[in-house]
Amino acid sequence: MKATIERATLLRCLSHVQSVVERRNTIPILSNVLIEAADGGSLKVMATDLDLQVVENMAAASVESSGAITVSAHLLFDIARKLPEGSQVSLETAENRMTIKAGRSRFQLPTLPRDDFPVIVEGDLPTSFEIPAKTLAELIDRTRFAISTEETRYYLNGIFLHVSEEDKPVLKAAATDGHRLARFTIDQPDGAQGMPDVIVPRKAVAELRKLLEESLDGNVQVDLSASKIRFTLGGEGGVVLTSKLIDGTFPDYSRVIPTGNDKLLKLDPRSFYEGVDRVATIATEKTRAVKMGLDQDKVILSVTSPDNGTAAEEVPADYSAEGFEIGFNANYLKDILSQIDSDTVELHLADAGAPTLIRQDAGSPALYVLMPMRV
Amino acid sequence: MDHAIDNPAGDGPDGQEPESDEAAGLRKIIHVDMDAFFASVEQRDHPELRGKPVAVGGAGGRGVVAAASYEARKFGVCSAMPSVTARRLCPGLVFVRHRFDVYKQVSQQIRAIFRHHTPLVEPLSLDEAYLDVTEDLHGIGSATRIAQMIRAAIREETGLTASAGVSYNKFLAKIASDQNKPDGLCVIRPGEGAAFVARLPVRRFHGVGPKGAEKMARLGIETGADLAAKDIAFLRAHFGSFADYLYRAARGVDLRPVRTNRIRKSVGGERTYREDISTGHALRAALDGIVDIVWDRIERAEARGRTVTLKMKYTDFRIVTRSRSLPRDVADKREFARIGHELLDNLLPLPLPIRLMGLTLSGLDRPGMPEEEAARDSAQLSLL
Repeated sequence: MKATIERATLLRCLSHVQSVVERRNTIPILSNVLIEAADGGSLKVMATDLDLQVVENMAAASVESSGAITVSAHLLFDIARKLPEGSQVSLETAENRMTIKAGRSRFQLPTLPRDDFPVIVEGDLPTSFEIPAKTLAELIDRTRFAISTEETRYYLNGIFLHVSEEDKPVLKAAATDGHRLARFTIDQPDGAQGMPDVIVPRKAVAELRKLLEESLDGNVQVDLSASKIRFTLGGEGGVVLTSKLIDGTFPDYSRVIPTGNDKLLKLDPRSFYEGVDRVATIATEKTRAVKMGLDQDKVILSVTSPDNGTAAEEVPADYSAEGFEIGFNANYLKDILSQIDSDTVELHLADAGAPTLIRQDAGSPALYVLMPMRV
Repeated sequence: MDHAIDNPAGDGPDGQEPESDEAAGLRKIIHVDMDAFFASVEQRDHPELRGKPVAVGGAGGRGVVAAASYEARKFGVCSAMPSVTARRLCPGLVFVRHRFDVYKQVSQQIRAIFRHHTPLVEPLSLDEAYLDVTEDLHGIGSATRIAQMIRAAIREETGLTASAGVSYNKFLAKIASDQNKPDGLCVIRPGEGAAFVARLPVRRFHGVGPKGAEKMARLGIETGADLAAKDIAFLRAHFGSFADYLYRAARGVDLRPVRTNRIRKSVGGERTYREDISTGHALRAALDGIVDIVWDRIERAEARGRTVTLKMKYTDFRIVTRSRSLPRDVADKREFARIGHELLDNLLPLPLPIRLMGLTLSGLDRPGMPEEEAARDSAQLSLL
């Protein structure tokens, strides 16, 4: 294999795929990227961690001889990063080595044969639909913060996608860690009807979100079965991310979304966020709870720390139900409030021990449920 | 896992009268145990070590063997053995340093294989777990078939071998997995449990160490059948709180469920010495040996804790314990050792020589979860 490529193109492509590669690997070839040069002058780069693979095509300046080889992802990325801007990078393989030349630099890296490189068998992906990249990015942003990191409940370690026929056909995304829940609903894309319920793992979500950032204007093609999902993004040459899905059952989360919470609190999410952030300053790690005292048209936020003293702040609000006190984890509250992109946020409360529903308004696609803390 | 020293923090009985397992509905339990796990991983990743006696652990003066390959076990080398002893038994023994990061990664691969069949997985450590497959996810129905599939998947995905025991409760499943090791499978079917246990030397019972077995031998108890012949009052008189467990185990009864979120309260170990120890130098050396073994267990269990307890038994059988708690988790082995030595130094000089010494780490939280998060969790109400 011998090919020449612009440093900037190579770097951009490697930055997409290299984060898939785990830093520590027990299987040596998983540390490598697969580079395949085709006669037409295109270069394909692929990385995998066995659960997730990313393939990107880029245009090479020239391909003198086609071929494929694997080489350390992180080394190649670091080299590409340090090469001078605007340089042409030549990649050439010979005898278990890959020679990388650019300007006056010359590197020789060990290689492993392409035949040993594991490729995820996609199988049949019967469900196919398109979704605007912006919509997919928002769906991820609004839900991913609630994904659980606790491995014992592995089926919560991702975003749950499912379709539902309600007033109109919809696609819903949900994530929860058992303390809070985030749900985002969009119109059902054509072709998504009857798709299996799937849980997209956290790492795939994170990698996909990074890729989306660079192609927010186009559409994303989604193909899936009950066990695999594939996202095809536009852009030059295109990027394809294929991931295994989490093999588990997501809990029936609809039953924890409260429907009869009769105490309605409306306030400005920004001043609410800032107030929570300020009073939480004195919260020690042990007691990150913020107490909310609800009263006629105001909320008193307060924190009492045995070590650091006390803090309180009054936030103007729209509230006319009976007064009571409720506590929340300050960070959870801030996570949700930072998702609200408007002048008002609605909190539907029942009592100090019941789930609270938070949303922008009745028409907003995003909905959050937060469990209180005992204070 | 070998039990060269007793683990005082093992699963105890809960004091109920034994009932038949049928009362709890017949379950299908698999115990999977990786064969010489750490050593096998090293042999897999370093082909030059294959076929050679390998010990994972420190080769140095006071190092301890954390795991031994089967080639090394033939020479009598076993885990928790001082490296010096191991080398004497097996002069060609190759020592390699442990790589817990790699073992943890492999462990996650294995657990993913388990979860493919059931969400009810109770990991005991990095290399073993109980699975309840009474209702397996793919409707295979046969626990034996599932155990075979799991062993095949482990071999294919990790290049390592595992032994599995299949039975209708945890105690029997664990006994079974030990039966045909390495790379073996053993099934104890309903109705066979009591007979199987009756033939078993008591040393094979989980929780019975060499000293315990010696004590039983003095009482004329060699096998499960001998144990089953004793009544509960006799067992209580001689074994205290351990009696209920022994009483049930001797009958092949174990009603403990497979708990996916089992939180260990402590990890520890103790050692009874052949010769009584009295000098400060010898005591410190003994403590270092225990630190090695217990810290190894802590790593295996992926446990964190903030309380260190030192226990010693004097030659007159009086027991003294001293403990110290940090406001946070014990950070590393060095700190664990330092606290242990502080506790020991405060007791010196001893009024009498000792015959037993032990160390325990307690105040454990869920792995990877800092203490304050756990504290927060207790006040945080749950949605699901």
